[in-house]
Amino acid sequence: MATGEPDFDAVPTGIGLGLRARFLGKVADGEAVGKVAFLELSPENFMHRGGRNPAALQRCAEHHRIITHGLMMSLGGTDPFDDEYFATLREFTDRYDTPWHSDHACFSGLDGALLHDLLPVPFTSAAARRMAARLMEARDRLQRPMAVENISWYVGMGAGRGHGALDEPEFLTEVLERADAGMLLDVNNVFVNARNHGFDPKEWIAKIPLERVWQLHVAGHELWDESLIVDTHGADVRDEVYALLEWTLAQTGPKPVLLERDSNIPPLPTLLQEVAQLDEVYQRAIATHAAAADGKARHVV
Amino acid sequence: MSFEPEPSVVALVDAIRRGGADEAIAEDLAGFFRARGVSDEDIAVLAEAGASRVLVYRSLVHNRLRNAIRDFVPRTIARLGNDRFRADFARFIDERAAVSYYLRDVPEEFVAWIAPQWRSDPDVPAYLPDLATHELLQLTVRNAPGGGEPATGNPVALDRPLRFDGSVRLMTYAHAVHKLSSDKDDRTPPPAEPTHLLVYRDEAHKVRYLELTAFAAAALRHLIDDAQPVATALQAAAADLGAPLDDERLGAAALLLADLAERKVMLGAT
Repeated sequence: MATGEPDFDAVPTGIGLGLRARFLGKVADGEAVGKVAFLELSPENFMHRGGRNPAALQRCAEHHRIITHGLMMSLGGTDPFDDEYFATLREFTDRYDTPWHSDHACFSGLDGALLHDLLPVPFTSAAARRMAARLMEARDRLQRPMAVENISWYVGMGAGRGHGALDEPEFLTEVLERADAGMLLDVNNVFVNARNHGFDPKEWIAKIPLERVWQLHVAGHELWDESLIVDTHGADVRDEVYALLEWTLAQTGPKPVLLERDSNIPPLPTLLQEVAQLDEVYQRAIATHAAAADGKARHVV
Repeated sequence: MSFEPEPSVVALVDAIRRGGADEAIAEDLAGFFRARGVSDEDIAVLAEAGASRVLVYRSLVHNRLRNAIRDFVPRTIARLGNDRFRADFARFIDERAAVSYYLRDVPEEFVAWIAPQWRSDPDVPAYLPDLATHELLQLTVRNAPGGGEPATGNPVALDRPLRFDGSVRLMTYAHAVHKLSSDKDDRTPPPAEPTHLLVYRDEAHKVRYLELTAFAAAALRHLIDDAQPVATALQAAAADLGAPLDDERLGAAALLLADLAERKVMLGAT
């Protein structure tokens, strides 16, 4: 049975970049060396794939640490896990020796039909127990620690007022504690949900067991209509999200932080500039965290 | 490990997949969810958000999958027309939906499902299934897990099967869709002529297309798909065409195999 926690000494901290096909070749050629702390990639974009990509990915892995982040595990789903998918994923995560594998707190399909999106689950204790059981099964199948990411959700799936109902931080905390898993805290998703559903994002984050946060994500979002913003990963990170990230990192201390971009992808040099800008925020936050820790230590002495 | 989905989860999937669900929800959100066993308490939460919020998921899923299909068969969709494509896609997601874990497989799943229906529909150009298949080849051959295998080192022998590069695909079309312009706005119909192609990925990972005679196509099918020894495959190919295996065909076969060896498509005897 795999352990719940990764070897944190071997985990890169700082700002990483989501590896996308559009700039895979340039990263393979070393254009991001010294500019990103790690690369994150979605195995589904590379599994069962030949041609140019496998060799390019191998060269990327020679330059950078890899963290894997899946799209289709459907941790909140009810269909049984697919043996072939997991066998291929295990082979992939072993090859790149990711410190953990993460996927989303959502479901992606039902009765064998796969919808290729991150669909919300009811925030109930029953759904939390189910997700925790599936996280543990995934960890056992992959023989690797598992982390789960909070998603952007646009409508509550009911039970919001009913028996066994939880709020989202309570739901995620129950999942994390039951599964002894890590959390991939997507700061942009917290911001998007806070805007769409009218809550304070800092209060939300303060309710999460921060000692279980292994990694953070930031991305851009876009307006769907006057009352809704959607997590598209298709725009620059907004100032409010930078501020929320800085506040969060000041609580957590050094972590791997990923810049995600999935559409309207700019050229690699532009993305690397955004990584550098994000790193300034990161360094400020880590200094704040260190100063706070130092202050606490002096207070104890 | 198996679990039962909550009624609200089943209802959300129906809201995304089912034909007419968008109109039904806009008209009577509570009725739609109540008919699927969702509790009044949960319906109150959904109603508070409103129909447009619920239907965001329908739009997100449909847009993502339609865009994936359009990206890989753009000329097919342009010739089909956007309204017809949207209607066909809506039936696809309602009646079948994707089953692959890989988004890049969705275009192939859609075309495999819709092509037989297009073939029997007089409103759809007869060549369109061939064009869709041909456009998809670029994707499937470029990403084929096989390919680039080393030569066997064994010379070609009449009594031995041959090994071929793992990316190779043999295609037969009723229309010469490979001759069409790559311009998405072009609407010229392709000639209605039987067409045989060998498609493979070269050493530089480019997808290459070779037009074959009917005899070459038949021979390669027996060699590749049936893994027959060379002599058997050539005799079977001639028999398929009702023609003798004469010196002309033997010479053509020798030239073909030499060409494929040079291209590193034919890797030698097994």
